Amino acid sequence: MKKTILLASIAALSVNTLQAANYTVDPGHTYVSFAINHLGFSTMRGKFDKQSGSLSYDPAAKSASVTIEIDAASIDTGHDKRDEHLRSPDFINAVEHPTITFKSTKAGWSGDKLSSVTGNLTIMGVSKPVTLKVDSINCGEHPFNKKQVCGFDATGSIKRSDYGVNYGLPAIGEVLDLQIELEAFKD
Amino acid sequence: MDQLLDRPEFQSAVIPFVVALLLYSGLRKLTATAWVWAIFAAFLVSAGLINGFILTPLTGTRKIILLILGALILAGLAPYLIRQLKLQSAVAPVLTILALIWVFGKVVARLDLTGIALFLIGGVGLVIWLLWAFDRIAGSDAQLHGAGFSLMLGIGLSATAAASALLGQIALSLAAASGGAFLAWVLQGKAVNSGKASASIATLPYVLSAALIGIAAVIFARLPWYALIPLAAIPLATSLIPVKFESRFLNALLSSLPGLVIALGVAFWVWQTSSSSSSGY
Repeated sequence: MKKTILLASIAALSVNTLQAANYTVDPGHTYVSFAINHLGFSTMRGKFDKQSGSLSYDPAAKSASVTIEIDAASIDTGHDKRDEHLRSPDFINAVEHPTITFKSTKAGWSGDKLSSVTGNLTIMGVSKPVTLKVDSINCGEHPFNKKQVCGFDATGSIKRSDYGVNYGLPAIGEVLDLQIELEAFKD
Repeated sequence: MDQLLDRPEFQSAVIPFVVALLLYSGLRKLTATAWVWAIFAAFLVSAGLINGFILTPLTGTRKIILLILGALILAGLAPYLIRQLKLQSAVAPVLTILALIWVFGKVVARLDLTGIALFLIGGVGLVIWLLWAFDRIAGSDAQLHGAGFSLMLGIGLSATAAASALLGQIALSLAAASGGAFLAWVLQGKAVNSGKASASIATLPYVLSAALIGIAAVIFARLPWYALIPLAAIPLATSLIPVKFESRFLNALLSSLPGLVIALGVAFWVWQTSSSSSSGY
Protein backbone atom coordinates (compact mmCIF):
# COMPACT_ATOMS: atom_id res chain seq x y z
CA MET A 1 0.00 0.00 0.00
CA LYS A 2 2.79 2.37 1.01
CA LYS A 3 4.64 1.46 -2.20
CA THR A 4 1.59 2.31 -4.28
CA ILE A 5 1.22 5.71 -2.61
CA LEU A 6 4.92 6.44 -3.13
CA LEU A 7 4.72 5.50 -6.83
CA ALA A 8 1.58 7.60 -7.27
CA SER A 9 3.32 10.56 -5.62
CA ILE A 10 6.34 10.23 -7.90
CA ALA A 11 4.07 9.98 -10.93
CA ALA A 12 2.11 13.07 -9.88
CA LEU A 13 5.33 14.98 -9.28
CA SER A 14 6.58 14.01 -12.74
CA VAL A 15 3.36 15.21 -14.38
CA ASN A 16 3.61 18.53 -12.50
CA THR A 17 7.21 18.92 -13.57
CA LEU A 18 6.25 18.25 -17.17
CA GLN A 19 3.43 20.79 -17.02
CA ALA A 20 5.49 23.59 -15.47
CA ALA A 21 8.32 23.18 -17.93
CA ASN A 22 11.29 25.43 -17.33
CA TYR A 23 13.65 26.38 -20.11
CA THR A 24 17.02 28.12 -20.26
CA VAL A 25 17.64 30.64 -23.01
CA ASP A 26 19.92 29.49 -25.82
CA PRO A 27 22.12 32.59 -26.41
CA GLY A 28 23.11 31.30 -29.85
CA HIS A 29 19.53 31.47 -31.08
CA THR A 30 18.25 34.45 -29.15
CA TYR A 31 18.23 37.92 -30.64
CA VAL A 32 17.25 41.17 -28.98
CA SER A 33 17.18 43.88 -31.59
CA PHE A 34 15.83 47.39 -31.91
CA ALA A 35 14.97 49.97 -34.51
CA ILE A 36 14.81 53.73 -34.13
CA ASN A 37 14.17 56.67 -36.40
CA HIS A 38 17.39 58.39 -37.41
CA LEU A 39 17.02 62.16 -37.88
CA GLY A 40 13.76 61.63 -39.73
CA PHE A 41 15.53 60.12 -42.70
CA SER A 42 15.59 56.40 -42.14
CA THR A 43 15.39 53.61 -39.59
CA MET A 44 18.54 52.67 -37.74
CA ARG A 45 18.79 49.10 -36.50
CA GLY A 46 20.90 47.48 -33.82
CA LYS A 47 21.04 44.46 -31.56
CA PHE A 48 22.59 43.15 -28.38
CA ASP A 49 25.10 40.35 -28.80
CA LYS A 50 24.99 38.86 -25.29
CA GLN A 51 21.91 37.83 -23.37
CA SER A 52 20.74 35.10 -21.04
CA GLY A 53 17.50 34.19 -19.36
CA SER A 54 14.83 31.67 -18.64
CA LEU A 55 11.36 30.72 -19.77
CA SER A 56 8.60 28.89 -17.99
CA TYR A 57 5.78 27.69 -20.25
CA ASP A 58 2.69 25.68 -19.44
CA PRO A 59 -0.05 26.13 -22.08
CA ALA A 60 -2.39 23.66 -20.33
CA ALA A 61 -2.42 25.80 -17.20
CA LYS A 62 -2.14 29.00 -19.26
CA SER A 63 0.95 29.93 -17.33
CA ALA A 64 4.06 31.48 -18.80
CA SER A 65 6.88 33.67 -17.62
CA VAL A 66 10.09 34.92 -19.13
CA THR A 67 13.20 36.63 -17.81
CA ILE A 68 15.84 38.07 -20.09
CA GLU A 69 19.10 39.67 -18.99
CA ILE A 70 20.95 41.65 -21.62
CA ASP A 71 24.57 42.75 -21.45
CA ALA A 72 24.23 46.48 -22.19
CA ALA A 73 27.83 46.75 -23.37
CA SER A 74 27.15 44.21 -26.14
CA ILE A 75 25.12 46.76 -28.11
CA ASP A 76 25.98 46.42 -31.77
CA THR A 77 24.82 48.67 -34.59
CA GLY A 78 27.58 47.63 -36.98
CA HIS A 79 29.58 50.80 -36.36
CA ASP A 80 32.23 50.70 -33.60
CA LYS A 81 32.38 54.44 -33.00
CA ARG A 82 28.61 54.75 -32.73
CA ASP A 83 28.47 51.73 -30.42
CA GLU A 84 31.00 53.41 -28.11
CA HIS A 85 28.79 56.47 -28.03
CA LEU A 86 25.68 54.38 -27.32
CA ARG A 87 27.49 52.78 -24.35
CA SER A 88 28.42 56.20 -22.92
CA PRO A 89 26.40 58.28 -20.40
CA ASP A 90 24.75 60.01 -23.37
CA PHE A 91 22.70 56.87 -23.97
CA ILE A 92 22.60 53.61 -21.97
CA ASN A 93 25.61 54.23 -19.72
CA ALA A 94 26.73 50.60 -19.94
CA VAL A 95 29.54 50.92 -17.39
CA GLU A 96 27.28 52.23 -14.66
CA HIS A 97 24.25 50.13 -15.64
CA PRO A 98 25.71 46.98 -17.19
CA THR A 99 22.50 44.94 -17.37
CA ILE A 100 19.18 45.55 -19.09
CA THR A 101 16.48 43.20 -17.81
CA PHE A 102 12.99 42.15 -18.74
CA LYS A 103 10.97 40.24 -16.15
CA SER A 104 7.46 39.23 -17.08
CA THR A 105 4.59 39.73 -14.68
CA LYS A 106 1.61 38.68 -16.76
CA ALA A 107 0.92 36.49 -19.79
CA GLY A 108 -1.88 36.99 -22.30
CA TRP A 109 -3.41 34.01 -24.12
CA SER A 110 -5.26 33.50 -27.36
CA GLY A 111 -6.78 30.04 -27.01
CA ASP A 112 -3.95 27.83 -25.86
CA LYS A 113 -1.28 30.01 -27.47
CA LEU A 114 0.68 32.67 -25.68
CA SER A 115 -0.21 36.00 -27.33
CA SER A 116 1.45 38.63 -25.14
CA VAL A 117 3.84 39.04 -22.27
CA THR A 118 3.68 42.04 -19.96
CA GLY A 119 6.60 42.74 -17.67
CA ASN A 120 9.04 45.26 -16.31
CA LEU A 121 11.84 46.41 -18.56
CA THR A 122 14.73 47.92 -16.61
CA ILE A 123 17.15 50.22 -18.41
CA MET A 124 19.63 52.44 -16.54
CA GLY A 125 18.02 51.42 -13.25
CA VAL A 126 14.55 52.57 -14.33
CA SER A 127 11.82 49.93 -14.47
CA LYS A 128 8.74 50.49 -16.60
CA PRO A 129 5.96 48.11 -17.62
CA VAL A 130 6.12 46.95 -21.24
CA THR A 131 3.87 44.62 -23.18
CA LEU A 132 5.43 42.43 -25.85
CA LYS A 133 3.16 40.97 -28.51
CA VAL A 134 4.02 37.33 -29.10
CA ASP A 135 3.75 36.77 -32.85
CA SER A 136 4.52 33.07 -32.71
CA ILE A 137 5.48 30.44 -30.15
CA ASN A 138 6.29 26.81 -30.74
CA CYS A 139 7.60 24.04 -28.55
CA GLY A 140 8.79 20.58 -29.50
CA GLU A 141 11.72 18.30 -29.94
CA HIS A 142 14.81 19.78 -31.53
CA PRO A 143 15.41 17.81 -34.74
CA PHE A 144 19.17 17.49 -34.22
CA ASN A 145 19.97 17.26 -30.53
CA LYS A 146 16.56 15.79 -29.58
CA LYS A 147 16.20 18.15 -26.61
CA GLN A 148 12.88 19.82 -25.86
CA VAL A 149 12.96 23.39 -27.09
CA CYS A 150 10.60 26.37 -27.10
CA GLY A 151 10.93 29.41 -29.28
CA PHE A 152 8.99 32.61 -29.76
CA ASP A 153 9.07 35.85 -31.71
CA ALA A 154 7.85 38.96 -29.90
CA THR A 155 7.65 42.68 -30.63
CA GLY A 156 7.00 45.80 -28.61
CA SER A 157 7.95 49.43 -28.32
CA ILE A 158 9.11 51.81 -25.62
CA LYS A 159 9.70 55.53 -25.21
CA ARG A 160 13.38 55.94 -24.46
CA SER A 161 12.84 59.15 -22.48
CA ASP A 162 10.87 57.06 -19.95
CA TYR A 163 14.21 55.51 -19.03
CA GLY A 164 16.16 58.76 -18.91
CA VAL A 165 17.77 58.19 -22.31
CA ASN A 166 17.18 61.70 -23.61
CA TYR A 167 20.23 62.43 -25.72
CA GLY A 168 19.52 63.69 -29.24
CA LEU A 169 15.78 64.11 -28.72
CA PRO A 170 13.80 64.83 -30.81
CA ALA A 171 16.17 64.48 -33.78
CA ILE A 172 16.96 60.87 -32.93
CA GLY A 173 13.67 59.04 -32.47
CA GLU A 174 11.86 58.84 -29.15
CA VAL A 175 10.15 55.49 -29.83
CA LEU A 176 12.33 52.40 -29.87
CA ASP A 177 10.81 49.34 -31.55
CA LEU A 178 11.93 46.12 -29.91
CA GLN A 179 12.10 42.71 -31.48
CA ILE A 180 12.93 39.58 -29.55
CA GLU A 181 13.48 36.16 -31.12
CA LEU A 182 14.16 33.62 -28.42
CA GLU A 183 14.89 29.91 -28.20
CA ALA A 184 15.26 28.07 -24.92
CA PHE A 185 16.09 24.46 -24.05
CA LYS A 186 14.19 22.57 -21.43
CA ASP A 187 16.11 22.19 -18.17
CA MET B 1 13.50 80.82 -28.63
CA ASP B 2 12.87 77.23 -27.50
CA GLN B 3 14.86 75.99 -30.48
CA LEU B 4 17.79 78.17 -29.43
CA LEU B 5 17.63 76.81 -25.88
CA ASP B 6 17.76 73.25 -27.23
CA ARG B 7 21.04 73.90 -29.02
CA PRO B 8 24.13 72.65 -27.13
CA GLU B 9 26.19 75.74 -27.96
CA PHE B 10 23.60 77.93 -26.26
CA GLN B 11 23.08 75.56 -23.33
CA SER B 12 26.74 75.15 -22.47
CA ALA B 13 28.48 78.20 -23.94
CA VAL B 14 26.47 81.35 -24.67
CA ILE B 15 23.98 81.23 -21.77
CA PRO B 16 26.38 80.36 -18.92
CA PHE B 17 28.91 82.88 -20.25
CA VAL B 18 26.38 85.74 -20.31
CA VAL B 19 24.78 84.83 -16.96
CA ALA B 20 28.16 84.69 -15.20
CA LEU B 21 29.34 87.91 -16.84
CA LEU B 22 26.25 89.82 -15.72
CA LEU B 23 26.10 88.32 -12.24
CA TYR B 24 29.75 88.93 -11.43
CA SER B 25 29.26 92.55 -12.47
CA GLY B 26 26.21 92.81 -10.23
CA LEU B 27 27.64 91.00 -7.21
CA ARG B 28 31.26 92.06 -7.09
CA LYS B 29 30.60 94.99 -4.78
CA LEU B 30 28.52 92.86 -2.45
CA THR B 31 30.62 89.81 -1.75
CA ALA B 32 34.17 88.55 -2.06
CA THR B 33 32.83 85.31 -3.51
CA ALA B 34 31.00 87.04 -6.37
CA TRP B 35 32.74 84.83 -8.91
CA VAL B 36 31.55 81.68 -7.13
CA TRP B 37 27.91 82.83 -7.12
CA ALA B 38 28.17 83.99 -10.72
CA ILE B 39 29.45 80.57 -11.79
CA PHE B 40 26.87 78.82 -9.57
CA ALA B 41 23.94 80.66 -11.14
CA ALA B 42 25.31 80.22 -14.66
CA PHE B 43 25.91 76.51 -14.12
CA LEU B 44 22.50 76.02 -12.51
CA VAL B 45 20.78 77.53 -15.56
CA SER B 46 22.99 75.54 -17.90
CA ALA B 47 22.50 72.25 -16.04
CA GLY B 48 18.74 72.83 -16.11
CA LEU B 49 18.82 73.26 -19.86
CA ILE B 50 21.11 70.26 -20.42
CA ASN B 51 19.57 67.85 -17.93
CA GLY B 52 16.16 69.36 -17.23
CA PHE B 53 16.47 69.27 -13.39
CA ILE B 54 15.69 65.57 -13.51
CA LEU B 55 17.28 63.55 -10.72
CA THR B 56 15.88 60.07 -11.38
CA PRO B 57 17.51 57.82 -12.20
CA LEU B 58 20.31 59.31 -10.11
CA THR B 59 23.06 58.45 -12.58
CA GLY B 60 26.72 59.25 -12.09
CA THR B 61 26.36 62.26 -14.38
CA ARG B 62 23.48 63.67 -12.32
CA LYS B 63 25.43 63.08 -9.12
CA ILE B 64 28.28 65.08 -10.67
CA ILE B 65 25.95 67.99 -11.45
CA LEU B 66 24.64 67.98 -7.85
CA LEU B 67 28.13 67.80 -6.40
CA ILE B 68 29.41 70.68 -8.54
CA LEU B 69 26.48 72.83 -7.40
CA GLY B 70 27.16 71.79 -3.79
CA ALA B 71 30.86 72.62 -4.10
CA LEU B 72 30.01 76.07 -5.47
CA ILE B 73 27.58 76.75 -2.62
CA LEU B 74 30.18 75.63 -0.09
CA ALA B 75 32.90 77.77 -1.68
CA GLY B 76 30.51 80.72 -1.66
CA LEU B 77 29.46 80.33 1.98
CA ALA B 78 32.60 78.94 3.63
CA PRO B 79 34.37 82.29 4.06
CA TYR B 80 31.38 83.44 6.15
CA LEU B 81 30.37 80.20 7.85
CA ILE B 82 33.65 78.41 8.51
CA ARG B 83 35.91 80.92 10.18
CA GLN B 84 38.85 78.60 10.78
CA LEU B 85 41.05 78.43 7.72
CA LYS B 86 42.51 75.09 8.83
CA LEU B 87 39.04 73.57 8.89
CA GLN B 88 38.29 75.02 5.45
CA SER B 89 41.51 73.50 4.14
CA ALA B 90 40.56 70.08 5.47
CA VAL B 91 37.05 70.18 4.05
CA ALA B 92 38.07 70.38 0.38
CA PRO B 93 40.13 67.15 0.03
CA VAL B 94 37.80 65.15 2.27
CA LEU B 95 34.70 66.24 0.34
CA THR B 96 36.30 65.65 -3.05
CA ILE B 97 37.36 62.13 -2.13
CA LEU B 98 33.92 61.36 -0.65
CA ALA B 99 32.41 62.69 -3.88
CA LEU B 100 34.59 60.30 -5.91
CA ILE B 101 33.40 57.39 -3.79
CA TRP B 102 29.73 58.39 -4.14
CA VAL B 103 29.89 58.78 -7.92
CA PHE B 104 32.16 55.87 -8.81
CA GLY B 105 31.90 53.53 -5.80
CA LYS B 106 29.36 51.14 -7.33
CA VAL B 107 31.28 50.84 -10.58
CA VAL B 108 34.67 50.47 -8.91
CA ALA B 109 33.30 47.79 -6.55
CA ARG B 110 32.77 45.57 -9.61
CA LEU B 111 36.44 45.82 -10.61
CA ASP B 112 39.15 43.38 -9.60
CA LEU B 113 41.70 44.34 -6.95
CA THR B 114 44.11 45.79 -9.52
CA GLY B 115 41.34 47.96 -10.96
CA ILE B 116 40.32 49.18 -7.51
CA ALA B 117 43.94 49.97 -6.65
CA LEU B 118 44.42 51.86 -9.93
CA PHE B 119 41.27 53.87 -9.31
CA LEU B 120 42.31 54.73 -5.76
CA ILE B 121 45.85 55.70 -6.76
CA GLY B 122 44.73 57.60 -9.86
CA GLY B 123 41.65 59.26 -8.35
CA VAL B 124 43.14 60.27 -5.02
CA GLY B 125 46.42 61.23 -6.70
CA LEU B 126 44.58 63.48 -9.16
CA VAL B 127 42.66 65.20 -6.35
CA ILE B 128 45.79 65.78 -4.24
CA TRP B 129 47.72 67.03 -7.26
CA LEU B 130 44.99 69.44 -8.34
CA LEU B 131 44.57 70.80 -4.81
CA TRP B 132 48.32 71.37 -4.56
CA ALA B 133 48.64 72.91 -8.02
CA PHE B 134 45.64 75.20 -7.59
CA ASP B 135 46.85 76.14 -4.11
CA ARG B 136 49.90 77.78 -5.71
CA ILE B 137 47.74 80.17 -7.75
CA ALA B 138 44.77 80.69 -5.44
CA GLY B 139 46.07 84.10 -4.37
CA SER B 140 45.89 85.48 -7.90
CA ASP B 141 42.43 85.99 -9.42
CA ALA B 142 43.93 86.06 -12.91
CA GLN B 143 45.82 82.79 -12.50
CA LEU B 144 43.06 80.98 -10.61
CA HIS B 145 40.36 81.74 -13.17
CA GLY B 146 42.72 81.52 -16.15
CA ALA B 147 43.69 78.00 -15.08
CA GLY B 148 40.13 77.04 -14.10
CA PHE B 149 38.72 78.23 -17.40
CA SER B 150 41.40 76.44 -19.46
CA LEU B 151 41.15 73.22 -17.44
CA MET B 152 37.37 72.96 -17.78
CA LEU B 153 37.61 73.83 -21.48
CA GLY B 154 40.21 71.10 -22.03
CA ILE B 155 38.21 68.50 -20.12
CA GLY B 156 34.98 69.53 -21.86
CA LEU B 157 36.38 69.37 -25.38
CA SER B 158 38.24 66.12 -24.68
CA ALA B 159 35.20 64.46 -23.11
CA THR B 160 33.06 65.51 -26.07
CA ALA B 161 35.61 64.09 -28.51
CA ALA B 162 35.87 60.86 -26.49
CA ALA B 163 32.18 59.95 -26.93
CA SER B 164 30.23 61.66 -24.16
CA ALA B 165 28.59 64.88 -25.24
CA LEU B 166 26.77 65.06 -21.90
CA LEU B 167 29.93 65.09 -19.76
CA GLY B 168 31.51 67.41 -22.30
CA GLN B 169 28.62 69.85 -22.07
CA ILE B 170 28.79 69.91 -18.27
CA ALA B 171 32.50 70.78 -18.33
CA LEU B 172 32.08 73.28 -21.15
CA SER B 173 29.26 75.09 -19.34
CA LEU B 174 31.59 75.48 -16.34
CA ALA B 175 34.32 76.75 -18.67
CA ALA B 176 31.88 79.26 -20.20
CA ALA B 177 30.65 80.38 -16.77
CA SER B 178 34.21 80.75 -15.56
CA GLY B 179 35.11 82.64 -18.75
CA GLY B 180 32.15 85.01 -18.27
CA ALA B 181 33.12 85.80 -14.67
CA PHE B 182 36.75 86.12 -15.77
CA LEU B 183 35.88 88.65 -18.48
CA ALA B 184 33.83 90.65 -16.00
CA TRP B 185 36.86 90.66 -13.69
CA VAL B 186 39.06 91.92 -16.55
CA LEU B 187 36.58 94.69 -17.35
CA GLN B 188 35.64 95.76 -13.83
CA GLY B 189 38.20 94.44 -11.37
CA LYS B 190 38.29 92.54 -8.15
CA ALA B 191 35.34 91.81 -5.91
CA VAL B 192 35.15 93.44 -2.47
CA ASN B 193 37.12 91.82 0.33
CA SER B 194 34.99 90.20 2.97
CA GLY B 195 35.23 86.95 4.85
CA LYS B 196 38.26 84.73 4.75
CA ALA B 197 38.74 81.85 2.39
CA SER B 198 41.46 79.24 2.46
CA ALA B 199 43.12 78.48 -0.83
CA SER B 200 41.67 75.00 -1.03
CA ILE B 201 38.06 76.02 -0.36
CA ALA B 202 38.38 78.75 -3.01
CA THR B 203 39.63 76.27 -5.56
CA LEU B 204 37.28 73.43 -4.53
CA PRO B 205 34.77 73.95 -7.38
CA TYR B 206 37.52 73.68 -10.02
CA VAL B 207 39.27 70.74 -8.32
CA LEU B 208 36.09 68.77 -7.71
CA SER B 209 34.64 69.44 -11.17
CA ALA B 210 37.86 68.58 -12.97
CA ALA B 211 38.40 65.39 -10.97
CA LEU B 212 34.82 64.13 -11.28
CA ILE B 213 34.25 64.94 -14.95
CA GLY B 214 37.75 63.85 -15.95
CA ILE B 215 37.48 60.48 -14.21
CA ALA B 216 33.89 59.99 -15.43
CA ALA B 217 35.05 60.60 -19.01
CA VAL B 218 37.67 57.88 -18.51
CA ILE B 219 35.44 55.35 -16.74
CA PHE B 220 32.02 55.95 -18.33
CA ALA B 221 33.20 57.01 -21.78
CA ARG B 222 36.42 56.44 -23.69
CA LEU B 223 38.75 59.27 -22.71
CA PRO B 224 42.26 57.76 -22.48
CA TRP B 225 43.36 58.07 -18.83
CA TYR B 226 46.70 59.55 -19.84
CA ALA B 227 44.92 62.55 -21.42
CA LEU B 228 44.26 63.67 -17.84
CA ILE B 229 48.00 64.06 -17.14
CA PRO B 230 48.63 67.11 -19.39
CA LEU B 231 45.23 68.52 -18.44
CA ALA B 232 46.07 68.23 -14.74
CA ALA B 233 49.29 70.11 -15.44
CA ILE B 234 47.34 73.23 -16.47
CA PRO B 235 47.29 74.93 -13.03
CA LEU B 236 51.00 74.23 -12.57
CA ALA B 237 51.80 75.58 -16.05
CA THR B 238 49.74 78.68 -15.24
CA SER B 239 51.72 79.24 -12.03
CA LEU B 240 55.03 79.27 -13.92
CA ILE B 241 54.29 82.58 -15.65
CA PRO B 242 54.42 85.53 -13.23
CA VAL B 243 51.52 87.95 -13.72
CA LYS B 244 52.17 91.16 -11.88
CA PHE B 245 51.39 93.72 -14.54
CA GLU B 246 49.24 96.79 -14.04
CA SER B 247 46.96 95.72 -16.85
CA ARG B 248 44.32 93.16 -15.84
CA PHE B 249 43.90 92.29 -19.50
CA LEU B 250 47.59 91.40 -19.83
CA ASN B 251 47.49 89.40 -16.61
CA ALA B 252 44.38 87.53 -17.79
CA LEU B 253 45.93 86.83 -21.19
CA LEU B 254 49.19 85.50 -19.76
CA SER B 255 47.34 83.44 -17.17
CA SER B 256 45.12 81.80 -19.74
CA LEU B 257 47.62 81.17 -22.51
CA PRO B 258 49.58 78.19 -21.13
CA GLY B 259 46.38 76.41 -20.11
CA LEU B 260 44.66 77.15 -23.39
CA VAL B 261 47.60 75.76 -25.39
CA ILE B 262 47.54 72.55 -23.34
CA ALA B 263 43.73 72.28 -23.34
CA LEU B 264 43.36 72.77 -27.08
CA GLY B 265 46.35 70.52 -27.80
CA VAL B 266 44.97 67.65 -25.70
CA ALA B 267 41.46 68.09 -27.13
CA PHE B 268 42.81 68.04 -30.69
CA TRP B 269 44.87 64.93 -29.97
CA VAL B 270 41.88 63.13 -28.36
CA TRP B 271 39.68 64.14 -31.28
CA GLN B 272 42.26 62.85 -33.76
CA THR B 273 42.77 59.52 -31.99
CA SER B 274 39.11 58.84 -31.30
CA SER B 275 37.55 60.10 -34.52
CA SER B 276 36.06 57.54 -36.82
CA SER B 277 37.71 56.67 -40.10
CA SER B 278 34.34 56.50 -41.81
CA SER B 279 32.04 59.41 -42.47
CA GLY B 280 30.15 60.32 -39.29
CA TYR B 281 27.25 58.35 -37.85
